[in-house]
Amino acid sequence: MKEKSDLMPSQLAEHDKSTSSTGMSRSACLNYHFKVGWREPTAIIGALMVVLFAYLVIVPIVTLMHDAVEVQFGDARRAKSEVGAWTFYYLNRTLASPISQILFWEPLAHTLSVATGVILISLSIGVPLAWLLSRSDMYGRRWFATALIVPYMLPSWTFALAWRTLFRNRTVGGQQGWLENLGFTPPDWLAYGQVPITIILALHYAPFVILLFGNALRSFDSQLEESARILGAKSGTVAFQIIFPLLLPSLLSATILIFAKCIGEFGVNYLLGLPVDYNVLATSLYRSISSRQSGVAAVLAGAIMLIGIISLLVDARLVRESRRFVTVGGKGAMSRNSPLGFYRLLATVFAALVFLISVGIPLLVLVLSTVMKVPADFSVENFTLDYWIGRNLETVALRTGILLTPDLWMAAWNTLRIVGFASLCSGLLGLLVGYVVVRSRVRWISSFLRHVTFFPYLVPGIAFAVAYLSLFAVQRGPIPALYGTGLILILALTADQMPYSSRAGISAMMQLGKDPEEAAQMTGAGWLRRMTSIVIPIQKGALVTGTLLPFISGIKGLSLFVVLAVPTTDVLTTYSLRLIDNNYTQAANAVVLIIAAMAYFGTLAVQNVTKTNLADGLGG
Amino acid sequence: MPNITLSHVSKSYDSLAPAISDLDLVVRDGEFMCLLGPSGCGKSTTLRVIAGLENLSTGEIMIGGRVLDSRDQGIFVPPEQRGAGLVFQSYALWPHLTVERNVSFGLRLRKVPAEEREERVGFVMETLGIEQFRDRYPSQLSGGQQQRVALARMLVIEPDVLLLDEPLSNLDAKLRLKMRAELKRIHGEFGTTIVFVTHDQWEAMTLSTRIAVMNEGSLQQVGSPDEIYNSPANLFVAEFVGNPPINMVPVTAGHDMELSLTLGEYMVRSFPGVDNVGSLGLRPESIRLSVSKPSGNSRCLTSHATVAGILPTGGNWIVELDKGGSPLFVSTNVSPEFNVGEMVYFQVDHSRIHLFDLDGIRVSYEND
Ligand SMILES: Nc1ncnc2c1ncn2[C@@H]1O[C@H](COP(=O)(O)OP(=O)(O)O)[C@@H](O)[C@H]1O
Ligand SMILES: [Mg+2]
Repeated sequence: MKEKSDLMPSQLAEHDKSTSSTGMSRSACLNYHFKVGWREPTAIIGALMVVLFAYLVIVPIVTLMHDAVEVQFGDARRAKSEVGAWTFYYLNRTLASPISQILFWEPLAHTLSVATGVILISLSIGVPLAWLLSRSDMYGRRWFATALIVPYMLPSWTFALAWRTLFRNRTVGGQQGWLENLGFTPPDWLAYGQVPITIILALHYAPFVILLFGNALRSFDSQLEESARILGAKSGTVAFQIIFPLLLPSLLSATILIFAKCIGEFGVNYLLGLPVDYNVLATSLYRSISSRQSGVAAVLAGAIMLIGIISLLVDARLVRESRRFVTVGGKGAMSRNSPLGFYRLLATVFAALVFLISVGIPLLVLVLSTVMKVPADFSVENFTLDYWIGRNLETVALRTGILLTPDLWMAAWNTLRIVGFASLCSGLLGLLVGYVVVRSRVRWISSFLRHVTFFPYLVPGIAFAVAYLSLFAVQRGPIPALYGTGLILILALTADQMPYSSRAGISAMMQLGKDPEEAAQMTGAGWLRRMTSIVIPIQKGALVTGTLLPFISGIKGLSLFVVLAVPTTDVLTTYSLRLIDNNYTQAANAVVLIIAAMAYFGTLAVQNVTKTNLADGLGG
Repeated sequence: MPNITLSHVSKSYDSLAPAISDLDLVVRDGEFMCLLGPSGCGKSTTLRVIAGLENLSTGEIMIGGRVLDSRDQGIFVPPEQRGAGLVFQSYALWPHLTVERNVSFGLRLRKVPAEEREERVGFVMETLGIEQFRDRYPSQLSGGQQQRVALARMLVIEPDVLLLDEPLSNLDAKLRLKMRAELKRIHGEFGTTIVFVTHDQWEAMTLSTRIAVMNEGSLQQVGSPDEIYNSPANLFVAEFVGNPPINMVPVTAGHDMELSLTLGEYMVRSFPGVDNVGSLGLRPESIRLSVSKPSGNSRCLTSHATVAGILPTGGNWIVELDKGGSPLFVSTNVSPEFNVGEMVYFQVDHSRIHLFDLDGIRVSYEND
């Protein structure tokens, strides 16, 4: 290219003087466009990534939509049409037929009522705690600030398992529940269904409120309330006319995010809803996949996706609105802590109680359940390590402790392999997306990449997994059927994690700016050299974070895997679910504890390495 | 060594108003050219299109007869092949490399033998006084030191053209003065063509061989510091250059202010052939004050006014005169021997009066 540009000026200049044909200048123009926009790998990488993400994000969803309106294999007779023909059969069956009540409307009502309950409870726990943590002189604030976030670091169904261990009754088989063994048989409504699901999810998402609302409180300028006080306003007036309106956006935002998460929640609903046939949308979806009704599954997944998209769009709208408020609490905002006086101890007890209920007791129960032969029998001879490391147990299958079971190590290896590889991919891709978004001279490429990598955020994991299932269940063109392989999991997981990693990558690249790279360019460095000597070394830290955070969320993820994994690609989460299904309660609890420990210590490690706190990494 | 030629150069970002439009500029070999103008006028953009970090919307850029950027001819030479060095306003040092590595980066890239590399890096670092920091990281350096590393990094590859984007603006006043002298010395020593961007007229005046004044994306005037100061091409240049700023007096027929009238009459008398004058510019330092009536002189404008204020500025004084309602600022380095409220005479040499037409363009007249 260099030779060309040395040669061309004189030749072309002559041309221009003699002939000013439009054809000539158009080709010159194209040539120019090419040299400016496409001369560097940035644009080519950008274009490749456009193709990649179109395939990983858009195509599965389009296929899913398509499946919802096309007669599926085996349904030809019922749909009264040929396989592959256009049909309303599935929409009709899911939304308007007699069976639609069971398939869709009842699960929808359950989903909505659970979500409502979860929001109400988590707000009423989270808001006071957020205030106590950020604006009061409660004892042990620093400790609680981390401790109360722990439920969010652990998989939500850890607590569902703990609940089952405590409250289980004869409705399901396997080991007895603790309470039942102590002589009190919990009724079904307490053991399963809406009540426990709501409580557990509320406790799981309360940290959300604590983080989001706490942040808003901390950045809130107490001079605002003070000036109102000085003007003679009463506390109540101050609270309702000044503080409340300013904090409303963060509350609404927390509400909607919790709602969106509840829509896609699978594990808790599966563990606690199934025994009493309490279905929500996610479990109904799971059932229709299990019973191979892919058309219905597509409609359900579409509905879940739609609800997720709408609620997050509403949230985006609110966040935009609330920007207006952000300027109000300036940077130097001083937040003063209110002395609690007499209530100081009471507040601390409240926080401690929440910690006990949401973390302490569940984890203790789980731990104890894995070392006790008979539930809730605290005599010394009842304790055993057999479930962890025992040999030749008297069970039908699984005759060794869980740590000695090859299946566990297989699942652990799969987790490491699949989640690790996917996280590495998404971390690298995230950085590349960031690079292209910041550097590409072809504007539509950067804006497309920004949007497409964010899109999976709007789609609950289980719906996304179903989309992958419908795309990769059969061979399409040159791409073989991937169902049953680790690759489908890696692809789905990578795409699912892209919103976080691409946002991390974009912000890292934005922060770096283009100056360091341009400086290298000015000293004569070509693209490859700039990448290897300047950009990647500087972004090492961002790459580590962009890989570790998805890894942690990946190892505790369930809903993607439960749809896409098969026994040979079991990861720890699906393995524990299989153990539960087979009533190996202690073993299942042990596996969940292992996952919880990995997630917890992983999060701590990331926070230490990157010196960020979870509130930033949370990203909604 | 090459000239840099910009002809009809325009650049717009994102279909907004062009950042620079229809710029015609020749930077001669070995020159120290300053781009001067208020912030946002397109100075950085001009540097970046010369460097190749941005491509042109229209026009053509050549260095030494080699076309680097021309849409019409389908030519765009990427920055790394242009032989230009650019020092960024932010310095843009590479945080993960030591000072020595930062400076030697370009030479390593060119696979210069280690011995020669050592020598060249050593020479440049010594010249700039940074050899004692060679093993430090950029974050361990002060602003001035970082600035010198940034400069060394570009100087060491001996670019044909050195582009500097407000390199001194992040330094404190004292260091700025020192670095200014250093830049001038380096220019002498290395003989590189330098294009230097600044919004500081003082910096431009002291450093450059020629100044290009820009405003709102277009070139206003190119000339030596002397020319820029003494014969501003238009109102913008006249008002942008000079501190305290030039006194601009509108000269409109029937204008009711006394100074305007006086000057108007004076003009009609002194420059009979010149019409269409919209305003007159009087530099504060070209006005002489006296308590007693100075001797008349046909090559001078002489009048009197009331002293409205005296502002000492440490060795200099700015005297505000009130001539029938319009203020006139005078800068003097002799201690005023009059008080506020008193009447003084003022005198301006004929040749020091700047005339501008109704469009703000300089009107030249004979006899100066
Ligand atoms: N990357 C960019 N994208 C859009 N507009 C830009 C960009 N860089 C500069 N501009 C605009 O171009 C104009 C000139 O900018 P610049 O050359 O940086 O001015 P200066 O260096 O003289 O302060 C400004 O109005 C600025 O807002
Ligand atoms: Mg600038």
